Amino acid sequence: MKVRSVKYLAGEGIKSMWANRLMTIASIGVLVACMVLMGLAVLITMNVDKALGTLEQQNVIMAFFNDEISVRYGSASVDYDKLEQDTSSTSNENEENKTDAIPEDAYLIHNEEEALALCDKIEKDIDNVIKVEYFSSEDALKIAKDRYLEGQEGTAAYLDGSGNPLSCGAKITLSDMSLYNETLTSLSKIKGIDSLQSHAKLADTITAIKEGIAVAGFWIIAILLIISLVIVSNTIRVTMYSRKLEISIMKAVGATKSFIRLPFIIEGMTIGLVSAGLSMGIVYFCYRVATESIKNNGTFGMMEVIGFSSVWHLVLGIFVAIGILAGVLGSAIMISKYLKKEGSEFAAI
Amino acid sequence: MKLIVREEKANTGNIMVNGYNLMKIRSKAIPMLRRTMGIVFQDFRLIPTMNVFDNVAFAMHVTGAPTRKIRKDVSAVLSMVGLGNKARSMPNQLSGGEQQRVGLARALVNKPDLIIADEPTGNVDPTLSYEIVSKLTEINKQGTTVLMVTHDHNLVRDFQHRVIILENGQIVADNAAGGEGI
Repeated sequence: MKVRSVKYLAGEGIKSMWANRLMTIASIGVLVACMVLMGLAVLITMNVDKALGTLEQQNVIMAFFNDEISVRYGSASVDYDKLEQDTSSTSNENEENKTDAIPEDAYLIHNEEEALALCDKIEKDIDNVIKVEYFSSEDALKIAKDRYLEGQEGTAAYLDGSGNPLSCGAKITLSDMSLYNETLTSLSKIKGIDSLQSHAKLADTITAIKEGIAVAGFWIIAILLIISLVIVSNTIRVTMYSRKLEISIMKAVGATKSFIRLPFIIEGMTIGLVSAGLSMGIVYFCYRVATESIKNNGTFGMMEVIGFSSVWHLVLGIFVAIGILAGVLGSAIMISKYLKKEGSEFAAI
Repeated sequence: MKLIVREEKANTGNIMVNGYNLMKIRSKAIPMLRRTMGIVFQDFRLIPTMNVFDNVAFAMHVTGAPTRKIRKDVSAVLSMVGLGNKARSMPNQLSGGEQQRVGLARALVNKPDLIIADEPTGNVDPTLSYEIVSKLTEINKQGTTVLMVTHDHNLVRDFQHRVIILENGQIVADNAAGGEGI
């Protein structure tokens, strides 16, 4: 098709929009409503995802190793297989240090070197583990004192002596929260780990929320997209009806199908793009108001919100894509129905 | 008429129009076939939202003609049908005869080889009917084939051209010299 024909048809499309302006305004209104809902759904999903991501990063499993302290306080694991040869020899060398309560078949961590070796083994053997940080029993005590024994100098002083009940261990960071329980099971099977302190319920909740939001977001967007398509199709149908005489004359004087189709597609696209522009403005305004409210809110004030400046291009891209898709597809579906009709059949529509 | 403009396809036989075999023509070539002919409708079929000039120019836009050529040819054809001074008028400001002349101008503007006039006098009074058929005769004399359908026996009698009479879809007479004799 020649450029001058495209120019002429673009003008005809715009004129047609003006001629059917009430229907056009109504379509833009409903399309804007759909797009604003879609945009907000996307932004909410992104923010919730980010918030959950932050929680995920903070979520770790604390593993306490099977050392002499755990044995002394009666929590040592005794059901492990027999010790490997090299470990046995190390144990034998230190036999005089063992208390009577130490089970003979316990897999004991005797020193920092062994503990670090166990940390390496955890990191190497379990795929979902991204970081393993060793802490000594003294480190564990310091953390516990800072967190729980503030102002209880007497207890703290006692624990500083020979009364430290905390074993050495490792802080294990996971990469995928959805595999939390599997990782926990794998860790519990590793020899040398006495106990695990985890937040399995929290992990399950976060995973469930993330999945729920992803599913809800998908359906909201899919449903609104279908509604948008129906709206544009309907507008084009009304336009087609009002222009049926023109179409019949076009066909009679030798217009090609693409020549007839183009003004309607341009009309649909223009409706879509105008809606995208308006929706962008409304979403920007709503998002700004919402983020200001969150920042000034006591409970959610600490929540980190994604700045609109970092996502505006994505939101605009989505709107333009939906606008063009709804416009082109909506008009194309409707026109293809009418293009099959011949001149005199238009009178019967 | 529908067969000639390929709105419908014949079940049997052969139809050749302006070098196109309508039994074998591909759907993409149908617009090209229609550009070789001009159609005048009984009900004028003018676009009410376009003025006289745009109604005629419309047929040229369809073919992708340049704007300068459209301006020149539309003005010429409007003068030819006697509507040079009505170019900016809207269809509802014209009489029936004038509206039909706009339809005629639209059919002529692409200089077709064949004009198909489907009862062009059906919606105008007898005086204007003669005026329209005179115009078609004039066009015919300039070398364009004119195929006119009419139920007006007086017109058939008064304008002596080849007359083909159809009854129930069958040709019952074909008088090269004109007149209605069977």
